[in-house]
Amino acid sequence: MKRGEELLDELYGCVLSGQADRAVEVANEGLGIGLEPTTLLFDAMIPALEEVGRRFETGEVFLPEMLIAANAMQEVVKVLRPLLVAAGVETIGRFVMGTVAGDIHDVGKNLVDVMLEGAGFEVIDLGINVPAERFIEAIRELEPDAVGMSAFLTTTALEFERNIEAIERAGLRDRVKILIGGAPVDQALVEHVGADGFAPDASSAVRVTKAVLGIS
Amino acid sequence: MAMTPRERVLAALRHEEPDRVPIVLGVSNATGIKMKPYRELKRLLGIDAPNRYLYGWPELGTAEVDEETLVRLGTDVRGVWDVEPASVLERNASRPPHADYINSWGSGAREIRPGEWFPMVCPMADATTLQELEDYPWPDMDDPTRVAHVAAEAARLAADGRFAIMATPWLLFPLERAFAMQGMDRFLMNLALHPDFAEALLWKLEELCKTLMGHFLEALGPNVDIIKIGDDLGTQESLLMSPDMYRRILKPIHADYIAFMHQRTDAKVFFHTDGDVFPLIDDLLEIGVDILNPIQTSAGKMANLEELKARWGDRLTFCGGIDTHRILPAGTPEEVRAEVRRVIGILAPRGGYMVSSVHTVMDDVPAQNILAMVDAVQELGASPAARGAS
Repeated sequence: MKRGEELLDELYGCVLSGQADRAVEVANEGLGIGLEPTTLLFDAMIPALEEVGRRFETGEVFLPEMLIAANAMQEVVKVLRPLLVAAGVETIGRFVMGTVAGDIHDVGKNLVDVMLEGAGFEVIDLGINVPAERFIEAIRELEPDAVGMSAFLTTTALEFERNIEAIERAGLRDRVKILIGGAPVDQALVEHVGADGFAPDASSAVRVTKAVLGIS
Repeated sequence: MAMTPRERVLAALRHEEPDRVPIVLGVSNATGIKMKPYRELKRLLGIDAPNRYLYGWPELGTAEVDEETLVRLGTDVRGVWDVEPASVLERNASRPPHADYINSWGSGAREIRPGEWFPMVCPMADATTLQELEDYPWPDMDDPTRVAHVAAEAARLAADGRFAIMATPWLLFPLERAFAMQGMDRFLMNLALHPDFAEALLWKLEELCKTLMGHFLEALGPNVDIIKIGDDLGTQESLLMSPDMYRRILKPIHADYIAFMHQRTDAKVFFHTDGDVFPLIDDLLEIGVDILNPIQTSAGKMANLEELKARWGDRLTFCGGIDTHRILPAGTPEEVRAEVRRVIGILAPRGGYMVSSVHTVMDDVPAQNILAMVDAVQELGASPAARGAS
């Protein structure tokens, strides 16, 4: 299985350096010689993304490098997802995500999506400019464990409070944990709007989500 | 002795202490006021003036503040700006309601809720090759209708003579333009994956910016004191790109652009960049930046005003510093006053500081807080507190 180990090393390097096309090739070659999709995910891709996250937190890499690593990860996950589903691999939780109404910023949100997917969550992204009703609809229909709301502007951060109030009125607040994120967010805002937590950046989002959901 | 507003600004820029700290508010899209707070401000002041938009551009949402309100705010500068070509303004004025606003670059804004427009139409989103740069229908920067009004407007302000003249060309900044053409995430990815393309795009954009900037400066002639450019280089916590990537790719472009301006005008170069740009301030000084804006105190090390002043205060003028994250939208008028006094106490001694909100005053700022900000500046005047004495 020497070739297998070589491929895992190369896949790790491709995700780390954001080489999406090559990462997909290597992943396919790995599958071709019998590597399990979960092996590719847990032994190469997730460690690579964790390493990017670590380097981002310490200021060794910046947004461009983080974005291309996340993109490479996403491209390979597209190949692996049907295989993981077919193999009946269980996700560790379901996460509904969206940028709040009146806001279109999604760079940070998309990075968090990839981080969560990489960590084994099923992520359903409702996109940008998502009104309260769509969050409510998604909670009813998809029964997620957690809902993530993103806002980049101080003006749109007001939507967190409106959305959480609407979710309470719909009688759904105790069914989900609510996490918020984006430039204007800090612990004071979390407490003010009645959310369950926030992450200051994409790389810490997984840690925070797991803590809030009680996943070790 | 009371100074004229222009004398006040020029003194601060010479790093001398004026009779009071200059105010830069209501002018430009980085130091402006959005339409909603502008309307409230006029109502509060009993001022009857039309709701005009900066650059004649409603989708941007920033008010062209009337003279009476500017006087009440004590703003010491008056703005002069370019506009989009007449044909583009006409095309947009006659487009179907709610249709995308597309500017001369082919990029534009979409209405996501009634009256709320976001810059999200990116015509080069998928481009990654030099050939695509060659083939793109770039705008005509020589179109004379872009600056036809500039010479007369600047001459009028100069003849009046009271106010410092601040030229605020619209988005003539290479990185911001690249984001508009490609989308921020796409362009940042190209910086990492296709650096040759990304760099060529930035140089192409700079060439176009310079062409229009040349016409703009020629029309202004000597009638300009400050010229505003900028590119957001910081994020909430650090930089958008590594210092190494900035120095390799973008800094030579900024340097060339600023040198072009300094060759053609004696005006001071005002550089707007959001976020925590602490690690790049030496670089910006080196390439000829005179005024740094907006000193986003909510972002990382930019909160450390004492260090900013100590390290760069004798060579760089700071403009901004009054927090739009918490203080202006959510603070009481008294908290706003206290914050203005605090910031002035640190940044204003020995000149080199002009008061402004961090970025344009957004919809969530009460009009009372805008007045509290400028009134606190007037109240302090040249008191010992404004010279950093406690």
